[in-house]
This record gives sequence, C-alpha cells and structure tokens, in this order.
Amino acid sequence: MSDEMVLSARGLVKRFGTFTAVRGVSFGVARGEIFGYLGANGAGKSTTIRILCGLLAPTEGQALVAGHDVARDPEGVRLSVGYMSQKFSLYPDLTAAENLDFFGGAYGLPRALRRERGRSLLRDVGLEEGDPRPAGALPGGMRQRLALATALIHAPPIVFLDEPTAGVDPEARRNFWRIIRNLAGSGTTVFVTTHYMDEAEYCARVGLMVDGELVALDSPSGLKRTFVPGRTFALRGRRLPIEALQAVPWVRAVEPFGAGLHVRCQEEMPGAEAIVAIASGAGAVEPRAEEIAPTLEDVFLAVAGRKAAA
Amino acid sequence: MHIFRDLGTLYFAVGMPLIMLVLFGYAVSFDVDRIPVVVVDEDATEESREVVARFLSGVSFTGVGTLERAEDIEPLFRKREASVGLVVPRGFSRSLARGEPATIQVLVDAADNATTTTVLSSASRFTVVVNRGLARDALGATPEAVEARVRALYNPASKSALFLVPGLVAVIQTMMSVLLTALTVAREWERGNMEQLFATPVRRIEIVLGKLLPYFGVAMIQMMLVLAAGTWLFGVPIRGSILLLFALSSLFLVAGLGQGLLISVVTKNQMVATQIAAVSSMLPAVFLSGFIMPIENMPLPLRILSNALPVRHFMHAVRGIMLRDVAPIDLAGDALALILFSIVVLAISTARFQRKIA
Repeated sequence: MSDEMVLSARGLVKRFGTFTAVRGVSFGVARGEIFGYLGANGAGKSTTIRILCGLLAPTEGQALVAGHDVARDPEGVRLSVGYMSQKFSLYPDLTAAENLDFFGGAYGLPRALRRERGRSLLRDVGLEEGDPRPAGALPGGMRQRLALATALIHAPPIVFLDEPTAGVDPEARRNFWRIIRNLAGSGTTVFVTTHYMDEAEYCARVGLMVDGELVALDSPSGLKRTFVPGRTFALRGRRLPIEALQAVPWVRAVEPFGAGLHVRCQEEMPGAEAIVAIASGAGAVEPRAEEIAPTLEDVFLAVAGRKAAA
Repeated sequence: MHIFRDLGTLYFAVGMPLIMLVLFGYAVSFDVDRIPVVVVDEDATEESREVVARFLSGVSFTGVGTLERAEDIEPLFRKREASVGLVVPRGFSRSLARGEPATIQVLVDAADNATTTTVLSSASRFTVVVNRGLARDALGATPEAVEARVRALYNPASKSALFLVPGLVAVIQTMMSVLLTALTVAREWERGNMEQLFATPVRRIEIVLGKLLPYFGVAMIQMMLVLAAGTWLFGVPIRGSILLLFALSSLFLVAGLGQGLLISVVTKNQMVATQIAAVSSMLPAVFLSGFIMPIENMPLPLRILSNALPVRHFMHAVRGIMLRDVAPIDLAGDALALILFSIVVLAISTARFQRKIA
C-alpha cells in the first residue's frame, strides 16, 4: 500500500455465529478517490462499511482508516470518518439545521464552528438554512442530501455512503452525484456502495462483492475489458431464440437484458447482420441487433455467472 | 402461515390472554382473607380470650401476635406487619357481667389497601355472631352486649382518593419510565438513529444517559403534578417527608428507565417493545402492586412475583410516606429492592448494548 492510501484493508473477515458475511477482503483506497462497492443485497457491502466505520469489530484481518486501526482505535476511526447509513437515520422531528447542529455536537464541535460548518454544508448540498420543515417532512432527495451533510459535519477525510441513493428519483440521484464529485474534487475520499450500475460508472474504481468475497476490483473500463471481452450486441425483437444463439461457436454468452438479449461474442465474428440472420433463421420476429459498449451490469452478470458456474 | 413465522406476535396472541387470565383469576380478588391481626387483650379474662378467639376464627383474619399496649399497634401498621388491631379494653368482662354494653375496639390500617370495607363488614357480622353466641351461652347478656368500634387509621373517612392518589403516582411513574423509554429508544433503533449515533465518538454511557435523563425529568414533573392535584382537588395529605418521597421515586424511576431501556435494547422494535413494556410494567402496576387488589390475598407465586417488581415496593413506600409518615428506616427494604432491581436491569442492558455493536 502506498502512502497515498487513506484506507487499507487486509484479509477482513466478519463472522456472525456460523454465517460468514465477509470472507477475507483486501483493498486500498487513495485520497480523494471515489471508490464504489458493488454487489447484490446481502453480499457483505454494509458489513464491510460498518467494520471500516468502527461500528463492528472484524473477526479477522486488519484495516487502517485514516491512520487508525479499526479494531484497536475505533474512537479515532469514528472521529475521522463520516457515515451515511442505508436507513434515513436523522431525527425526523428536527429541522435540517437542528439535525446538523445536533450531530455537530455529537462530534464535539464547538457551537460557533458547527453553526458555520452547518451553514456552508447546507449551501453545498442545496438546502435552505431557514427551512422550518422537520427533516421527516422533506422530500426524499432533500433528506438524503441532508443526511450527507450530516455525515460531513466534522469535515472527515473519508466519508462512507451506504446505498445513499436507494429509493430516490433519477433527477435527485444525478444531483447527489454532482455533490459527491465535488466532494472528491476537494480531497475527501468517498467510499460508496450502490446497486445502481450507472452510478458505479462515476467511480474511479469499483470493487465487486459476491457472497462476502471481493471478486473483482478495477476501474469500470478495466472491469469491462477483463470480464466482458469481445464485442457485445443488444438484440431486440420477439420470440428471440436463446438456445440457437448459444449454439453458435463465436457466441460467448447470451443474457436476458431488459426486453431483449445481450449477446456477448468473441472479437472475431461476422457482425450484427450475422446475429440477425441466425435469430430470424431460428424463428425470431423482427430481430434488430446493435453493437453496444458493455455496461457494468454486463460485468456484474458475467462475474455472478462465473461465480455460479464455479 | 405468516403468523407462525412471526413468533413475537404469536407469543403475544397466546401469552397475553394467559397472563390476563392469571392476573384476573388469581390476583384480582376483592375478597379479603388472611388479614393480619394483632391483639391487645387488656382485660385478660376468660370472656375476653373467648372474644379474641372468635374474632380470629373467622376466615378473614389471621392472628399474628399479641401486644401489651394499644399504642404499640400503629408502629406495626407502619412496618406492614399487621393491618388490623383488636383491642379488648380493661373491664370488658365486668361490663359484660353487669349487662352493660361492652366495647371492643378494632383498628384498621386504611391507607394501604381495600381491606377496610371488608373489616367493617366482618366486624359488624362478628358482633352479631358473638352476641348471639353469648346470649346462647346464657352469660346473662343482652343481645347488644358486645359492641365493636371500628377506627380506620390514616384514612378515617375511608376516602378512596386517599389510597388511590398515592398509588396513581406509582402507576403513572411506571407508565412514564418503562413504557415511554422502551418505545422511544426502540424507535431510535428502528430508524437507525442509534447506529448513526454509534458512528460518532459519543460514548455509550453518554447516549444512555442522554436518552434517560429527559424522561427522568419529565416523570418527576409528572409526579409533582399528580401530588399537587391530589392535594388540592382531593385533599390527599402528604404526612411524611417530601424529600424522602423524591428520593424513593428517583430510585423507582431509575429502575423503571432501566427496565424500559432493557426492553428496547432487546427488541429494537417499537411494536414489540410497547407490548412487552405494557405487559411487564402496566399490568403489574395496576394488578400486582397492591394498587387496587390487596397483595395479601394473592396466591403465593403471584405474591413472590409481586415482590420482585419495583412498582410494588414503590407503591408501598409512597403510601407509607404520604399517609402514615413512616420513618425512613421502615422503607429500607423497599429502597433496597428498588436498588437491586435497577442494578440488575441496567447491568443486563449495558451488556446487551455492548454486544450489539461488537
């Protein structure tokens, strides 16, 4: 791990009784990086985050967060990280400004400082300081930005966001990511879990978690090169013949995707017309094929499929 | 099918009726028996012994001892060792022999329970029986030879407010401390506020105190309101030391808040927490504390349970202080029980608190 790493984990294991939620996870995150953590529900994302925030002690392994060992110095960890949990965990009967003030107090900030920071944070996330509404009455997007502001009240060098955009509309999600990019631009390290694949594209690097294991870790484009090599085509139409396509030697995999199929092929293959011809020959109605850049969702499906086959 | 998965609900569906049944069937008894009676036989004649024996032979009464002087009865009331004092005055047999009305005196501790009415009716029934017996025994007595004078101590007018208001203090304190704490702290678990707080450097003990202190304050204010209303509206006296009253209710509140905290830490769910709190605090506060039903009449298991509950001790202490002006030393047992209970629940909930995080 280089000096640039503000967060490093080595061989993290967390067992709950007989259930192993996290199986030997190792990685490092650089200062100012947006690090995405991707995985299905129950893959161990939240557990990892909670270990790194000093909320859970790891069963095995070691993690250094902003220079503090999570097992030996959870207090130090808590002071230097912000944590925005999956649930909306602010006080719904306090206003935005009051919530910020309360958590600022919980981090031991003096009154004047938490006023000032609260004011500037509200501005950064686009909320009105004088908004008299209790947090519980705010629309989802605003609540979530308030939660982010709360996690940042003590100006932590690292902030952990656990599914910050779950259940928020697309417009609000875009807005939120703009804030996150600004944050990373100013040097704050952002560790974010999500299961929206489009969001993962915003991350500098993405770790893929399957059943408690970190199965892949790379930049989004690197992941695509590794896990979805060759060319990918989106095939639309009715009565699409999955088996017939799978039988073609240059087809690597056929996966249902939305209303159609994603056909992943080897680098050397005839082209979109060939796929259309095969599909029509096997009884497809009005097939249309179009070459696409693979998405992280393709990566995810490929990795999950490989894991299932193993 | 769902109901079998949801074990919590199932326990309540099955458990609630059972608990209610036991409480109502055994505890909720207005029939009074086994009332502890202390006897002062100043006359010490064959006739007086006869009267005492007859008095004690009724189902309602149990003799717990004899005293030399009538003045010694009240201290026993304060210690809760007796609820009724039977005094046969000197000259009883002489009056009887002369055919004059002979008086026995029945002192009743009317502060603590609903036994007063039973004692009153038993006493009058008793005189009828005794007189009839005496007449039959041809002692030459007239039918109204023996007269029982009942004196209700501490609550001479037998006003129900006098023992309901102090009891209500205990019931309200229970509701405030256990129910509200369980509910609100469980809500914070449910919403994730707790997790968010744990992510801050605030220490566990600070979180716990921060949650409990406001309720402590509110409960104290409530107590003052009830006391003030009781005094002004119903004329309930506060005969003992207010300071002592506050000291005891502080102990009780700590116990109750601890119980509420424990419930919330274990359940972490508002629904379940509320139900458990209601069953474990409100029902006992009303039924097992001696608030309405006298504890002496309950079957042994319920009496033991009642003794394990803080509310029973607090109920006793409040009534003792307000109506009987008991000495602090007489409340030592109650205070000790409250302290013990607090230590146990707080120890368990703190242990659970730590474990949930690590």
